[in-house]
Amino acid sequence: MNGLVLGGTYALLGIGLTLIFGLMNVVNFAHGEFYTLGAYAAFATLAGLGGGFVAAVLGAIVCGALLGGLTERVLLRPLRGESIDTTMLVMIGVWIAMQNAELLVWGGVAKSIPHPFPTEPLVLGPVAIAPLRLFVMALAAGLIAASYLLIHRTKLGRAMRATFQDAETAALMGVKIARIHTVTFAFGSGLAAAAGALLGPVFLAYPSMGDLAALKAFSVVILGGLGNLPGATLGGLLLGIAEELGAGYVSSGYRDAVGFVIIIVVLLFRPSGLFARQERIG
Amino acid sequence: MSAPDGPALLTLEDVHAAYGPVAALAGLDLAVRPGELVCLIGANGAGKSSTLRAISGLLRAGRGRIVFDGREIGGLEPAEILRAGIAHCPEGRRVFPHLTVDENLAMGAYVRRDRRAVTDDLERVCEHFPILAERRRQMAGTLSGGEQQMLAIARALMARPRLMLFDEPSLGLAPTVVETTFGIIADIRRRGTTVLMVEQNAYLALRMADRGYVMETGRIVLEGPAAELLANDHVRRAYLGG
Repeated sequence: MNGLVLGGTYALLGIGLTLIFGLMNVVNFAHGEFYTLGAYAAFATLAGLGGGFVAAVLGAIVCGALLGGLTERVLLRPLRGESIDTTMLVMIGVWIAMQNAELLVWGGVAKSIPHPFPTEPLVLGPVAIAPLRLFVMALAAGLIAASYLLIHRTKLGRAMRATFQDAETAALMGVKIARIHTVTFAFGSGLAAAAGALLGPVFLAYPSMGDLAALKAFSVVILGGLGNLPGATLGGLLLGIAEELGAGYVSSGYRDAVGFVIIIVVLLFRPSGLFARQERIG
Repeated sequence: MSAPDGPALLTLEDVHAAYGPVAALAGLDLAVRPGELVCLIGANGAGKSSTLRAISGLLRAGRGRIVFDGREIGGLEPAEILRAGIAHCPEGRRVFPHLTVDENLAMGAYVRRDRRAVTDDLERVCEHFPILAERRRQMAGTLSGGEQQMLAIARALMARPRLMLFDEPSLGLAPTVVETTFGIIADIRRRGTTVLMVEQNAYLALRMADRGYVMETGRIVLEGPAAELLANDHVRRAYLGG
């Protein structure tokens, strides 16, 4: 059960990253910082403004998407067509800048994010789960479903998929590629922020929390294959469950190690990802 | 067939364009009148595809004027040029392999706002290309080369263009499919859409065109009614193999 809680948020992180990577060919090292941003946005909404948990997640998505869109527009758009190394360096810069900005604004002490749920676990037959975690799981599932609908059922999503497959022909159809890039980056960052807002109250919020999250997101993308949405979703769930099982049956100290062992094994035997059939988006 | 008279629908005047330091177009002059089928022939690397790319806005012209229907379109975004009425059916078909046939067709109508008319057009196109109608939910990448060519043409038609640009429509297709494709292009023209076509198979292209242009190293070296070009010694030697 807890594996699904973790897995759902990993999937959100992974979907965001795989979209950005797949569509824009940008290795987004700052992805984890949008996760941190989401956690602090949730903290501000819940502790500062006294809003509800759903409002906190929505607020986080809006913050993440706005800052993500701005980052793309200001820093990445002028570099379109530059090599992947250049944008990688820029994103490392964004990562460092955002992390230090968070340290400056919120301080280095970890914050516990208050949430309105009772701490008494709900017992459903053989499983016991905290109501907060149940809610996190449901919201994550809802957001994943919403992402699928956006990508597969809307005109914007169709244009995103077309751009991923053949950007020049998409431009011939009248798709404004630059706008698709901005929207994609905003969307991916919004999902990362949502993940941060969801997991923040489960754990703690602190400025460097995004580093590990980014690593997890990259793992999920590797598991699922580049630009592969179902892959990222399944990869996220798999990683979450594997970590939870590893923590339960081996030792909780090895929680993060278990995930990376899986990645190494996957890379050894299926280097293009567990679910890779071909490069794809959607 | 004789070429209709009247003012040109599309004019290129002294157009220059380059890929980085490599010049692709070096002072190109060309005109297409409404209702005409014009073909552009020339050797590999002469700049035929670049001409089409400059018209549809994929390649920015550095100098010269491109005028469509009385309006300067040089330097506009591809989206605006498409909205003005020029659709480009690119070389190698370039269908979106992991979109369904229906989604590919919908991409062709991406700039259109008249949703109801788009739905009507989708049905009409499917009637016109029964092979596509049977495969509407299939991924375009699973279609055969000929079917992909039909889809690429149908997709371009979804924009309801007044001028259609075809880049090497016969490339890589079996002879019978080439014949079908050229039949469709002739049909599109018969229905009133003006056509500018780049084609490697100079004989086939000139046989169905009204007029032709011969390109060498980025400029036009010869132009005239298609029948005259077919009989021209230089053209016969260089492009018709005899």
